[in-house]
Amino acid sequence: MADLKIAGAPKRSLLASVRENLTDGPGFLWLMMTPPLLLLALVVGLPVAKAVMLSFDRVVLTRPKLAGDFTFHNYIRLFTDIDAWLAVLRSCLYMSGTVFGSIVLGLAAALLTRRIVRFRGLWRSIFILPWTMPAIVAAMVWGVMYDSNFGILNQLLRMLPFVDANVEWLLNKSIVLPALIVVQVWNEFPVAYIFFLAALHAIPEELYEAASVDGASPFQQFLFVTLPQIKYVLAVIVVLLLIFGFRAFPVIYLLTGGRTETLTVATFNAAFRAYDFSYAATLGVLAMFVSLALVLIYLHLTLRRGKADAAS
Amino acid sequence: MARILHMAALVALAIVVAFPVYWMIVMAMTPLGFSRQITTIIPTNLTFDNFASLVVERPMLRWLWNSTLVATLASGISLVIGLSCGYALSRLNFRGSYIVLVLVLASQMIPSTSILVPLYALFKDLGLLNTIQGVVIGHISLVLPLAIWMSKGFFDSLPEELEGAARLDGCSRLGALWFVAMPLVTPGLAAIFVYGFVTSWNDFLFPRHFVQSENLWTAAAGLTSFRGEYFTLFEPQMAASIIFALPVVVLFFFLQRRMVSGSLTGGVK
Repeated sequence: MADLKIAGAPKRSLLASVRENLTDGPGFLWLMMTPPLLLLALVVGLPVAKAVMLSFDRVVLTRPKLAGDFTFHNYIRLFTDIDAWLAVLRSCLYMSGTVFGSIVLGLAAALLTRRIVRFRGLWRSIFILPWTMPAIVAAMVWGVMYDSNFGILNQLLRMLPFVDANVEWLLNKSIVLPALIVVQVWNEFPVAYIFFLAALHAIPEELYEAASVDGASPFQQFLFVTLPQIKYVLAVIVVLLLIFGFRAFPVIYLLTGGRTETLTVATFNAAFRAYDFSYAATLGVLAMFVSLALVLIYLHLTLRRGKADAAS
Repeated sequence: MARILHMAALVALAIVVAFPVYWMIVMAMTPLGFSRQITTIIPTNLTFDNFASLVVERPMLRWLWNSTLVATLASGISLVIGLSCGYALSRLNFRGSYIVLVLVLASQMIPSTSILVPLYALFKDLGLLNTIQGVVIGHISLVLPLAIWMSKGFFDSLPEELEGAARLDGCSRLGALWFVAMPLVTPGLAAIFVYGFVTSWNDFLFPRHFVQSENLWTAAAGLTSFRGEYFTLFEPQMAASIIFALPVVVLFFFLQRRMVSGSLTGGVK
């Protein structure tokens, strides 16, 4: 290849120089970036632009005459819409609940399996298994278990001495959100588990030996040795799970039929129940801003620490 | 004593975590209509009839085929096109690369409902509703950012010196990518493809709402229709869930090590 370049240098044709520019010169960046960015603009940029346009319009399928004018109607409505803000609140509760639950469960599983030697692969597989389940399958399985008359959970509950009434897991308004959170936690805690397990394995064993020589109890060891060492991973998981929780849709929608509105479900309902695409787009734009903020936090965390830590 | 407590806690946690999967299998193999009468955790009479009836009474095979087609196309296109962007983000320190990084990750993290609504409106204008192409395009919007982000991660984990050496020997940049970096990331590419495939396979939102005719549904869309219709018939729901989840679970465990490291660098499910 080197020979080619030297031989071609004196009397280079235009085509050859363009080719060299693209494969080896400053044009290489363009060659690499143009097709993916074009496709990204098409499949993501275009819908986002359309969402913004819709949000300044009034496209309501049941009332076609409203469409066509530039208006702030949807944004004004958004700021005064109690239901929308309740949905945002529910999203926040859902996010905090799933993050807390997944971290507790993931950390517990990781701490319990970290020094296990026997059947190591088996334990790991069991704790990763829920993550391999598609969210819609998780929703279906738990839907069957939550069934108020015939579900296994109520059957087990009824065996307890002082319980006789069935719990309406998905219909009772004060239980439904925790019930949904349980499903989401079951489905996604393995992410936290995998991160924690990797982080725990990276802690040098000498630290624990030193701590136990100094007479630290297991709990103190956890508090003063383990926790500081996994602080960074913990932060990354929190943000990651916040994003998952915020995006969550299948579990909530399939188990409640859309009755419990988080921001994502409210977006869906506005479009496919009320047929108000403009208002739905407005809610969607709000959701985009929230996820953008979360992404910036995530990048800020991970890029600063560099590649090595993220991959450990 | 501490050891016994430790083991007990581990076994208890594992049972709780694994129980829903176990129960799904039990329900799927219970004769139709009998799941309500189950009073024990350990089942006695099991059958495969529910699986057979999925194929006979519903277009399950057709849906699975559609899923395979859509997922292969969406993931394949995303991988082929997205790869070079991942490489550029990893190797070429250009101005604005941070912005591209934010854009890519943000596109990946946008809730799919936020995309569904404008995409539906666009497809309505373009006549892409009720077509497989529409679903593929929708899924590319989910998978492409993932492919870019994950391939960046895999290129990041390759030492840059290898391509540097090739370039010293007179290889062009494209040549260094093609002949040196690509063969080394091939296993990673398989993981990215599987990841994209699974993402598309698992999504029910786009196929269910872009497509009206049941014949063009993917398995995910078909599966979610069960919950509406057979709200109380557990057995077919669970049998269909197993058939739907099985390929994904097998793929995950097959590629477990890489999937895990890939998901860490990609930071996504």
